[in-house]
Order: sequence, then structure tokens, then C-alpha cells
Amino acid sequence: MVVPGRVMWGEPTMTDRAAHAREAEFAHLFEEFSSPIYNYVLRMVGDPDRAADVTQDTFIKAYRKLDTVTEATSTRSWLYRIATNTAIDDMRRRRMVSVMPDDSPVFTNRADDRPGPEAQVLASTLDDRVQRALMTLRPNHRQCLLLSDLEDMSAQHIGEVMGLSYAAVRTLLCRARGEMRRALAAEGLAR
Amino acid sequence: MSMNRHQHFEELISASLADDLSDAERAQLDAHLDGCAACRATLASFAEQRRIMAGLRHVAAPRDLGARVRAGVEGGAFAPVPWWRRPAVMFGGLGGGLAAVAGALLAIVLLNGSPEDPNVGLGSISPAPSTSLTASSTPAAESPGPSATPGASEAAASPSASAASVEASPEPDLYFAYTGAFDNLALSVVHGPTGETIAEIEAPLGPPIAAELSPDGQWLAYVTELGQSGLNEVHLTRIAARIPADDPADPPFADSPIEVGRTVSLGRSVAGSPFLERLAWSRRGHYLAYTLAAPEGGGTDAWVFDVTVGEAQQVTNFGDAYAGSWMPESLGTSLWLSRAGEQPVSYGLQFNDSGGGPSEPGDEVNGSTAAVNAFQPLLSPDGSRVIYWKGVMGQAGDVWTFIEGGAPYLADAPVDDNPSEFTNERPLFGDVTIDRDAFTSASIVWGADSDAYAVWNAQWTGIPQGANGEYPSPRRVYFGHASDSRGLTEDHAIDEADIPEGSSVVDVKVTTGRHLVITALRPVGGVMEAPAADLFIVTRNTGRVADDVTPVRSADDGWFGPAAYDASSELSAP
Repeated sequence: MVVPGRVMWGEPTMTDRAAHAREAEFAHLFEEFSSPIYNYVLRMVGDPDRAADVTQDTFIKAYRKLDTVTEATSTRSWLYRIATNTAIDDMRRRRMVSVMPDDSPVFTNRADDRPGPEAQVLASTLDDRVQRALMTLRPNHRQCLLLSDLEDMSAQHIGEVMGLSYAAVRTLLCRARGEMRRALAAEGLAR
Repeated sequence: MSMNRHQHFEELISASLADDLSDAERAQLDAHLDGCAACRATLASFAEQRRIMAGLRHVAAPRDLGARVRAGVEGGAFAPVPWWRRPAVMFGGLGGGLAAVAGALLAIVLLNGSPEDPNVGLGSISPAPSTSLTASSTPAAESPGPSATPGASEAAASPSASAASVEASPEPDLYFAYTGAFDNLALSVVHGPTGETIAEIEAPLGPPIAAELSPDGQWLAYVTELGQSGLNEVHLTRIAARIPADDPADPPFADSPIEVGRTVSLGRSVAGSPFLERLAWSRRGHYLAYTLAAPEGGGTDAWVFDVTVGEAQQVTNFGDAYAGSWMPESLGTSLWLSRAGEQPVSYGLQFNDSGGGPSEPGDEVNGSTAAVNAFQPLLSPDGSRVIYWKGVMGQAGDVWTFIEGGAPYLADAPVDDNPSEFTNERPLFGDVTIDRDAFTSASIVWGADSDAYAVWNAQWTGIPQGANGEYPSPRRVYFGHASDSRGLTEDHAIDEADIPEGSSVVDVKVTTGRHLVITALRPVGGVMEAPAADLFIVTRNTGRVADDVTPVRSADDGWFGPAAYDASSELSAP
């Protein structure tokens, strides 16, 4: 008879690696990506303290999932995906994100108004206005725009991070730019 | 020029900034820009915006970030056992009998801390005491099930003296959270008492609708919908490492090659039948039995996953066979396999709990575990009672249902000298007259105390019965006790108001003799909306007193449930 269903196993990638190899790999990952990830998350959540928490959680999760990175997976995309999901979870917990389809009317994010010490650093004039504009975007628009223009990722890599097709990323990015254009204009930074 | 045409070129403009255009697209855009002032303005605006974004200040990460990550990693990932399982290690040496109260004990240990496990409470992922912890450590108001009592008395001998009054907790040990936008859903496993995330799982194509935690707490088996395909998918995620046992011979089988955090897909099946959604763990967590029905006449057969080899095996090839539950321990590690048909029948298939699996798939059943005239027996956690179906079955599409005289029955479980006989048989529904037209199917679950049970999604084709002519109803949850000689009656339905209006029950777990944990699907507006389900605890009150409903998680925030808990009798065995 035809055997229904399927049985599927992941290929063990790090099962037999020594612990020190894992440690070295993780140390390299942290050294290379901790600063970019922190900055990306900072722009996502808009608060230095929370950005530090989210970055910390991102790397802890990354450590635990290190053996799921395969040759076919871009380590950078993989790490940004974890960071993105962790940041979205954080925002959801803080009620800054609503579950809504992409075509819903724009809603206004409620920025965290706790003034941390580093917030003073962040709040130089231009940065402050750009950040305010960013925080008015839908989370997936903000994410897409940051990955493209801050992280200089290609549409293909953004798709890997966001779980979207190449075509969907191009459409989303264009919408995000349109939204950001209006937000920057409201801050007096664009036409 | 149409708006759509502008949008098309705006996409090209946007992509051009990252040099992400094909030659043809580049030529098309250039030609358009020559004649379109609006798009030239868009290009200038987008380019300026990109320049602004690229010029955002780079902020140095906190200096202690590395140390914080290291502390988090060492507090969790390096430990042989995840934090949420550690108390079980601590209590494991006390002589067993504690599984039924593990959840409540965990809450108290975390609340009070313990000198025996310095790791508890350390690290960024360790849960902090919270109001939910306090609530879960509060003994239930009513007498707990019998199986919880020994645990409570033994817990009194624990160094954590405050555990003395612990009784069974109404809260689930775990539950699923399937949240996010409809096109970006995430699946995680949440620790019931603390709300902490235990595992994050690659999101399946649909929400989870059934879940069973393995008796050793290492594995979570679950069924998810497969989008709108009319199929389900069975998965298994390893959520914890094996707990080191004091006795090297326990458990007697090898550790699994599948690492903690990994998810395995166990196959796809036709959806829509509760008989196909049963997930049955063997007593020690060595084997998971389940059923897959292939669409378009491909047949229904039972499968067994062996954790020690990390593989699933099809154990029947009849095309009409369903996995039941594992037989009482006195009969060895044997699985009831049921064949659907005019006269459904169940066999036993013996497995080896110390090594290899069963005999070849489809082999005749071991003679020591003969057939019984019953379908899909469901053994109570303590092995003393069994609920099963009787009646004539027929095929409805790709699944089997009862077509004549179908009904669930309750009996005492067989003992080793007569494994084929269910004694003291009585109908599960005590006040329903079973005729030709009767039940076609229903979902049934035992409670942890092996006395309470619940029935929902009862599909009744006979003449409606009961006081209001709507009984048995597929919309009601019936909550009974095996020790109640009346069986289930119309009065055993939990209050209609317990279920949110318009919602339908997806899953029920019976955590104590008085508490149910219910997952109820909330209708959503369309495919652009993420699925939503409430998870809540019902405290059953009798007479005119309305039930108490305590929300665990609201469907406003996503899909929550099914819940899972450790209903094992294995750990309480001597």
C-alpha cells in the first residue's frame, strides 16, 4: 500500500562537534554581529535598554539554535530573523504591535517614553526625528526599510529574514518607502 | 497614466536604490522617468530617504552585553536539564509519586528557591516569582484526585517544607501560543504556571489542535491543521533533555539522537475525525503511537515513533487500522490497535521497552494480547479503567465513523490473566438511548486522576434527547467521573456560558477532578486574519452555582492552546 504521510529528519549538522568548536563559532558570531544587531534592534524598538535586552535574548537563542544553521542558510539572515522575531515579541508584549494585515489602516505606535540615560545620546536632532518617523511605521515596514537601508541587505536576504518571497519584499519595501516618505515629511525632513 | 502603472514604477524606483533591477527593468524605468515628473520626484525622495537612513548614528552596544549573553547561555543552555524541568530532578530522588503535582511543586520551588538547586532562579531566562506562580501554588479548593494524594504526602518530606500542602494544580503544565500576523505566525511552547517560553518552534501552516506531553517531559507531540487543505500534520518537538535518573536502569532505553529544540514531522493525515487525532505515549515515553489517514482512499494505518532511534514506523498495513492507547503496565509495553469495520476489533501489539521496536509491521498480533470487540480503547492514566467505542462503522470519505449504534462505553481495564475482557461495562452516557442512529464520533479525554473525563464534539445522528431536545450536543462539553454510577447525563454538561459565544471547542484537558482547561476557537473574518483561540480554565460548580472561568490567555492576542500536562502514572510507579 501507499504509505501515507512522510517521515522527515533534520540532518544533524553539529551533533558530533566538540563543545569548544561550538563555543568558538558562537564567539565569532557575537563578535561580528553584536553591534549591528544591537543597532538594528535599537531602531526597531526605539529604546536603548530594551534594545540591549532584545539583543541579549537574540544571542542566547542563537546559541541554542546554533546547530540549526545549515550550509544553505545565510548566518546573517538567520541571526537577523531571530533578532526580528525577538523584537516583535518584545513589542507585542508591550502592546506596541497589533496583529493586523498589511493592508489595514495605519495605526500609531505608542513609543516607549521612558527616558533612559543612553536615550540622551540617541536624541541628537536628526536621529531623533528619523527615529520618531520610523516608529510611526508598521513593524513590518520598519523592519523591511531598516534591513534595506540601514543594513544594506538585498531583497533576497530580506526575504530570508522576513520569510517573504523576493517579489513580496520588493512590494513591501516600496510601500515602506512611501510610508516613510510621509513620516519624514511630517518631521520636516523630506518633500 | 493609471495609478497602478505608477505603483509599478515606484517599485522599480525603490528596487533601483539597492541596485536590484534587471537590465530590462532598468531600461523600462529609465524610459519612464524621462517622461514622468512625478516618478522623478519619487526617485529623488526615496534616494534622499535612503541617504538619511544610511546616515543614522551608529550607537555602541552596552559594554556588558557579552557578559549578559554569557550569563544567559550558561544559565540555560549549558545545563543538562532546562530550568522548567529542574525541580523534577530535585524531587526525582524522593521516591516517585510526584508527577501529578510536579507543576505545583515547580511553582513553589521557584517561589521559595531551594538550596538543592542553585541554578534555579539564576540566569536571564529563569522565571521570576509572579502572581501566577502564587496562584498556581494555592491548593485547589476541592479534594484532588486520588493520584495526587500520595504525591502531596511525600512532598511533605521534601526539604522544601512549604510543599506540604500541595495538591493537584488546575493549570496546565504547558500550552501552545501561535501568534503574530497571519503571514508571519510564530509557534511557541509556554510554561503554564509562569508564562515563560520553553521552546520556539518553526511555525507550521496552521494552528495546533491536539497536543500530548510525553510522560518524561522531554517531548511534545501535536497535531496542526495544514492550512486550508483539509489535512492535518503530526509533529514532535523535543523540548527538554533527559533527566538524569538515580537508578541507571531507569529508563531502560537509550537517549534519543534527536536534540533538544528539534522538531520532526511525523506525517500528514486527513483531518476532521477525533479518532485520527489521538496521540498516545507509552508509559515511559519510549514510543508515540498515532494514526495517519491518506486522502483519496489511501488507507488508514497506525504508526509508532521510537524516540531511541528517532524514527517512525508504520505498524499496520490494513488500511483501516487506528492507534488506540497503550495497555496496562501488567500487560507489558503493548499498544491497542483497532481495525474499523462492521465489527470493530482491537488487538495488542507488543513492543520492547528496552530496545528494538515491535515485530514486523502488519504481523499478526501477539497471542498473549488477544482481541476485544471494541474500538480505540482509551486507558486511564493509572491503567485501571478504559473508555472505548462499540457499534457498526462505515467509511465517510477517507475516514471511518460509526454508522449504526455507535456509542462510547466505560469498563474496568483488563488484568493480566484475561487481557481480552473488559469487565463491568456500562455506557458512558447513562441517560442516552442508543438505537440504530446514535453517535458517529466524539472527542474523549481522561483526567489526571483517572476518574474524571470529558467528552466534547459529540456527533449525534439520532433523535435529539433531553429536556430541551438538544442532547447530546456537539457544542457542549460533558464532564463526568467514572466513579459516578449515573454515567454522563445531560446535567453533566458544563455551563453553556463557559464557552465564549460563537466559539467552538478545539481541545479539552482535565487537570483535576473539578477543572478543565479548554481551547476554544474564535471565528475569524477570513484568510487575512490570524487564527485565534482562547485558553481558559473552567472550575466546575454543581447545582445552580455557575462555573468559574479563569482565562489563561485571550484570543485577542492570538491562538492559545491546546494545553498539555503530565498525566503519567509511570513516575508514580514503585
